[in-house]
Amino acid sequence: MTDRGDIVLDARHLSRTFTARRESGFFKKKFEQRAVDDVSVTLRAGEVLAIVGESGSGKSVLARMLARIVPPTSGELWLNGAQIDLSGRRGIDYARHVQLVLQDPFASINPVRGIRHTLERPLLIHGASKDDVAERSREVLTSVSLTPPDDYLERYPHELSGGQLQRVNIARGLAVSPSVLLADEPISMLDVSVRLGVLNLLRELCDTRLLAMMYITHDIASARYIADETAVMYAGQVVERARGTAIMDSPVHPYTQLLINSVPNPDHLAHRDSPASETKASGFNLHGCRFSPRCPQALDICHTNQPPEVDLGGGHTSRCWLSATDEQRTAVSITTR
Amino acid sequence: MSSSDTHLVLQVSNFSVDYGYADEAVRAVTDVSFSLGRSRVLGVAGESGSGKSTLVYGLTRLLRAPGVISAGDVTLRLSGAREGETIDLLAASEDELRAIRWSEISIVMQSALNALNPLHKIGKEFDEVLRVHDASLSKPQRRERAEELLALVGLQPDRLQRYPHELSGGQRQRVMIALALALRPQLVIMDEPTTALDVVTQREIVSELHDLRERLGFALIFITHDLSLLVELADEIMVMYAGRIVERAPALDLYRAPRHPYTLGLMESFPPLTGERVAMTGIPGSPPNLKTPPAGCPFNPRCAHAHDRCLSEMPPLSDIGDGGRSVACWLHDPASPLEVPVSLSRPGESTPGGVK
Repeated sequence: MTDRGDIVLDARHLSRTFTARRESGFFKKKFEQRAVDDVSVTLRAGEVLAIVGESGSGKSVLARMLARIVPPTSGELWLNGAQIDLSGRRGIDYARHVQLVLQDPFASINPVRGIRHTLERPLLIHGASKDDVAERSREVLTSVSLTPPDDYLERYPHELSGGQLQRVNIARGLAVSPSVLLADEPISMLDVSVRLGVLNLLRELCDTRLLAMMYITHDIASARYIADETAVMYAGQVVERARGTAIMDSPVHPYTQLLINSVPNPDHLAHRDSPASETKASGFNLHGCRFSPRCPQALDICHTNQPPEVDLGGGHTSRCWLSATDEQRTAVSITTR
Repeated sequence: MSSSDTHLVLQVSNFSVDYGYADEAVRAVTDVSFSLGRSRVLGVAGESGSGKSTLVYGLTRLLRAPGVISAGDVTLRLSGAREGETIDLLAASEDELRAIRWSEISIVMQSALNALNPLHKIGKEFDEVLRVHDASLSKPQRRERAEELLALVGLQPDRLQRYPHELSGGQRQRVMIALALALRPQLVIMDEPTTALDVVTQREIVSELHDLRERLGFALIFITHDLSLLVELADEIMVMYAGRIVERAPALDLYRAPRHPYTLGLMESFPPLTGERVAMTGIPGSPPNLKTPPAGCPFNPRCAHAHDRCLSEMPPLSDIGDGGRSVACWLHDPASPLEVPVSLSRPGESTPGGVK
């Protein structure tokens, strides 16, 4: 039996590169696009880990690697203390433990099949008996507050609202009683007024079923609302992470600060900077800090050397030279000399 | 809002839109009236299905069947060579509309990727619109103007040689804004222009819009579901629910003291970035089906303050005499003052019968 806080899924140094082509002058050059670069995350029972990042930051690729839909280029995956062999296919057993809920319920639920089919299919695939299946479908519908469940089982996706359908999507993820739920932007397609309902549901499921949950979002305020721990990703790397609301309350990394200052907040109109100097520098710096081309506080070292993950205490880390100790900086200047 | 009529760009009265015909008709926009002054920003907020997009597509006559404008008057005051003239948008012929579209009114849609032709370089989009609307411009002049426009939104001139897929989402949306401004329209309509972008890019684009509006003086109708974003950008905000305006107020007033329970609910649907973490509920239930709207106030099934009258009578949008603010809610009916819940009354106002 797992207790709250037990490590369920542990991802160590996961990386994923995609090969892309760039047209540079006369020649077409192949190059490696590092979608996720050396990311370690730990999902614990009864806790929500939020991954915050803009589009292209690698957060969805990370979730797909944890679900083993995208194989990692390198890194290790540990489920309940056992290392997973990443060389073969995923296999059904892994899917029973780790389930992924996608962003758009309209696209991820079969529109020509009833809700009953959608919920029973995973159960049948995972070998439940016909009798159990009906009972279990009702149970998961009840757990996502679609009650009475019999009203929903015979309906079709187009008969439900976006919020209801996303609940069905979550129910499908829960059908096989997984220990890990990966939710990739579960509320961004929903109407504003029903978003909080789905967020509250996720939090409640996490607490009552001791699910280990990863909540992926671009909305840092929603992460603050639901998460026990938050990691901010930029260009494939985790740049800052902390427990509780520390990241939002006292952000350390310049990117997190930019992110938080960009959230519309009418209470702080006076503190608003004049129009941001355009971030034309869109290419990421692959040698130094990924954020250095856009960073207002970049030092010389930032352009040439990758910053280390600096421990700020209390589980708060920042991948930034500004937070690094003198020893860490000197160590680099010696090695590069 | 300026009191003088000559400063109005757009005047809309009792505007309604139906989808479908006769018995099948569903009223998507009901009895909307507002006016917009020169270089003012009007924010329209509401969730999907509230009619906010249908409203602007109707106003600009871009609505496609089965959408039908069933009632109303829309008057646009022209600028430039036709300064002083007005045009009745709902009565205008296709030719007349063609003459004013883009040069007087332009529109920016949510998805820039769908709005730009994937087979054309960005430069061609600019060239086309400039050539069609002003035949006197030579090719180098058109190119120069296109570069000017890109510079306006902070893009490098070399972007003209790019295809849409080579640009990021933010850059594409900037291109759309530059295109919308190409013929110096006096009214620009933006339908959720930043919803698909991340917050950092959204912040940059909103700041740019703020600047551009000051420099070029166009009026802007900005549609979004994000009230806090509107508060930063808009002078005045209209909140729509089930096709009707439920509250209209100066932006900051609306934010500081929402008077309609729906406005309050909408604001409380966004978790805050500061303060204690507390459980929030959003708005219970879901928006009404417009085929079978509830009797009385359409918000009554979801409203915590609904009482008997709300279940049978539709509250009209009425001026509640609080700095040009209108609310459609029986809680604020001047004729029969009710106890207004603290959260919906003016700050510092005593509760019983708090509305004058």
